Amino acid sequence: MATLLGIIILICIILVVFYVARTVELTKEIQGDLDDTSKRSNIQGILLLGFLIVFFIGIAWSSKLFLPRMIPTPASTHGLEIQKLFNITLFFTGIVFIITQVVLFWFAFRYREKKGAKVFPFTHSNMLEIIWTVIPAAVMMILVAKGMITWLNIFPSTKDMPKDKLVIEVTAQQFKWNLRYPGVDGNFGNRKIDQEHVGIASKDQWWKNEFGIDWDDSASHDDFFADTLYLVKNKPVLCKLGALDVLHSFYLPHFFVKMDCVPGVPTTFYFTPTQTTLEKREELSKLPEWQKINLTTGAPRYTTFMYELACAELCGRSHFGMQKYVMVVEQAEYDKWVLCHTPAYASVKKAKDDAMGIKPVETAVNDSMKVTRTDSLITTIK
Amino acid sequence: MAIEEARNLHVSDDHHHDASHDDHHHEPETFLTKYIFSQDHKMIAKQFLFTGMFWAIVGAFFSVLFRMQLGWPDTSFPFLEVILGKWAEGGKISSDFYYALVTMHGTILVFFVLTAGLSGTFSNLLIPYQLGARDMASGFINMLSYWFFFFSGVVMFISLFVQTGPASGGWTAYPPINGVRDIAVNQGSGLGLDLWILSMSLFIISVLLGGLNYVATILNLRTKGMTMWRMPLTIWAFLFTAVLGILSFPALLAAVVLMQFDRLFDTSFYLSDLVIGGKLIPHHGGSPILFQHLFWFLGHPEVYIIILPAMGLVSEIMSVHARKAIFGYRAMVISIMAITVLAFLVWAHHMFISGMNPFAGSIFVLFTLIIAVPSAVKVFNWITTLWRGNLRLENPAMLFSIGFVSMFISGGLTGIFLGNSAIDIPLHDTYFVVAHFHIVMGVAAFFGMFAGVYHWFPKMFGRHLNTTLGYIHFYGTLIGAYAIFFPMHFMTGIPRRYARFDNFEFANNFADLNKFISIAAIVVFILQLMFVVNVIYSAFKGRKMKSLNPYGATTLEWTTPVEHFHGNWHGEIPEVHRWPYDMGVNGREFIPQDEPLAEGEVSHS
Repeated sequence: MATLLGIIILICIILVVFYVARTVELTKEIQGDLDDTSKRSNIQGILLLGFLIVFFIGIAWSSKLFLPRMIPTPASTHGLEIQKLFNITLFFTGIVFIITQVVLFWFAFRYREKKGAKVFPFTHSNMLEIIWTVIPAAVMMILVAKGMITWLNIFPSTKDMPKDKLVIEVTAQQFKWNLRYPGVDGNFGNRKIDQEHVGIASKDQWWKNEFGIDWDDSASHDDFFADTLYLVKNKPVLCKLGALDVLHSFYLPHFFVKMDCVPGVPTTFYFTPTQTTLEKREELSKLPEWQKINLTTGAPRYTTFMYELACAELCGRSHFGMQKYVMVVEQAEYDKWVLCHTPAYASVKKAKDDAMGIKPVETAVNDSMKVTRTDSLITTIK
Repeated sequence: MAIEEARNLHVSDDHHHDASHDDHHHEPETFLTKYIFSQDHKMIAKQFLFTGMFWAIVGAFFSVLFRMQLGWPDTSFPFLEVILGKWAEGGKISSDFYYALVTMHGTILVFFVLTAGLSGTFSNLLIPYQLGARDMASGFINMLSYWFFFFSGVVMFISLFVQTGPASGGWTAYPPINGVRDIAVNQGSGLGLDLWILSMSLFIISVLLGGLNYVATILNLRTKGMTMWRMPLTIWAFLFTAVLGILSFPALLAAVVLMQFDRLFDTSFYLSDLVIGGKLIPHHGGSPILFQHLFWFLGHPEVYIIILPAMGLVSEIMSVHARKAIFGYRAMVISIMAITVLAFLVWAHHMFISGMNPFAGSIFVLFTLIIAVPSAVKVFNWITTLWRGNLRLENPAMLFSIGFVSMFISGGLTGIFLGNSAIDIPLHDTYFVVAHFHIVMGVAAFFGMFAGVYHWFPKMFGRHLNTTLGYIHFYGTLIGAYAIFFPMHFMTGIPRRYARFDNFEFANNFADLNKFISIAAIVVFILQLMFVVNVIYSAFKGRKMKSLNPYGATTLEWTTPVEHFHGNWHGEIPEVHRWPYDMGVNGREFIPQDEPLAEGEVSHS
């Protein structure tokens, strides 16, 4: 019923406007106003100039309103470089934007039709055209050069990366992130993508898993999966990215990190975080936007600020739900955090033992592994 | 040589026409041959226009639906369940259908409206008219072009109603989400996508048939005296649009056909190492990135296929209503050529972070930013065209042309950010991109199309559109479109294609802005409906055209009689003696192209 009513109202609005416009037009036609185009051009010229003013006021007003709400300054070394490049581009394009829009609408106003006015037949000017070909070309070359340098620095070859770095394996699937850490030995166990290794574990095929992790490779025995992406401040991290089913994109908005996760094609992203989560909160606490009270927690927004991991490539019905938190901490805290995790192999080992009829040997180590497994973020920070 | 011969052939063909003109005129035209299976370029142009308008309403309505989801994600709208049924249970659009709406919005607007509706309408209308040809090189192929488009639309329309829903993996149809025929992976990747691929294949055939015809006509059927350098800029734009389409659309056909092989016959062009439902599926050795290369080899030229005709229309309209020659005609033509060539060298700037080798990315940065140069030249030339003119702003066509330039500047400049691969990292697939391409190729192309409709409406229907409604349409759309897309620049970093934002703290900060944008979108949609009412009403009841050449334009289409008949001119085709921009010279307001040179006058080109 409401639908019907809405549609009827909509049709009425359209018809009313239409009939008013038709009447205006007919009246003008009868009065012979339509033949004198300059009268109407005059009004339109003024309206166009008015639009220019409204447009610029709108830009200023929306900037004041929304600029503070934008994602804060990036917390990574390359992110700051990108931000610089962004600002240089904004400087050049901003100048061009203001000049061209003002001139466009000003000319429209200034040269609006006047009866009997003579136009200036100006068909071309080589000088002018050379000037406004060469200047944009020169500016573009500056931007290309700066852009290429920044870009190639973001993707160093593996041999240029320091030995002392974090390596994390990120495997995306509908609709979650699997974050695999190499454990204490710093090496990942092999993955074998074949029917023998990939699949759902069962009693007879205890070794199977979706990732094809090869449990015969002893390097895999201390690898663990984490709920939160933990990173170390000022320590480079190499994210090895992959996906099981469809395209995903590994997106860390606060670090200016984004790279697609492609099934069958390994990709990587290498970067260095520069601020711990706590330091970022400290920084944000100075901004009025972040001092606002969050209605769900009742505390200022900066107190619950978290870095986040999102998916940025359409991956299906719950694309907008692939969320993980990211924590940047000092090395010492990271080391503690690593020790809190039970290797994935622990449960596999149990399944294997069950399958082979071996009774598990209860050890003190195993017990400690079970209880301390936690990475609830809020508790870690407190 | 061949062209010369063909032209002579055509001229003698004209004489033949002239001799048998009367028989021609009295050929019995049935309703079927005149309005349905017409081979007359003018009628085919109208067919494209009205089909395009139908699809524009559908595509824009879809955007209203998903804007309602984005603006009021937690509100239930019972009427949505009335119209969408199971896809909006409880009055809330399901996320599956949200993605179907987004996908269909993109497909419909990009292909059916801004390719077929824009280039199809105006290439058909203006190429024979402005070149002085009786019709296209092949009227029959031209008719086929329309009917392939029509049936491609029928197939796409059917796909909206299949039980598993229309395609929902994005208008770019990236595999594997679209490459695996499994509705568990993605709701729309079943029958919906089969139909999408069939529809796109038919559409590509339509574009190719149309494009070949446009090129053949432009190269061969120019009237006597109409050298290439005397063609109006519209024709130059249509020529290069057709060339772009002919060279790039086959890549899309290859891409989607290979994908259908993957989906139906277990080939592995794009698929490798997929683990679905915990099981490794047997496809092995393909690369999803290959599809992206093929897709964007079409996809990027496609945006120029959309914007070049708009540029051509605006150049022509601006010059006519400024009562002044377009500034830098040759520079404009060379810019179009440069854009056409560069359009094929920049496709991978859509793929900087797709997993493609980063070194390749840096090459594409270079070509992408170079495209800004011819684009800038065009903008400066348009602005200079206005300088010291006598601007007839009372015509909405002129207003929309000025609006086009404003939009093209605003949207073009953000392209300089996105084209630089490093800056693209944080911006890719976020609302900054949405703002960029909607302004530069969505709104701008629509403005070009509106300008064209307002300008050539008298030529098509012998009547004028209602100008007062035109003003409301223009200012409403200009302000509304900026209100929708300008604030999206502040949502830089907020991922696009999210049905809701509340799973993320960083993205959940713009609820009020999203509401504002949604309201603006609904208002703009209603304004477009008014435009449609205006078009339909004025076609039958509008103010009648009083003179053959109401704007004092120089080009040949205004020399044809009002009544419609196949062949455009009674008697001989006019001969061209000068370029199309002799305005404000020799103490005359304008000199038509078919007027012989005065004694001692030197032709401009």
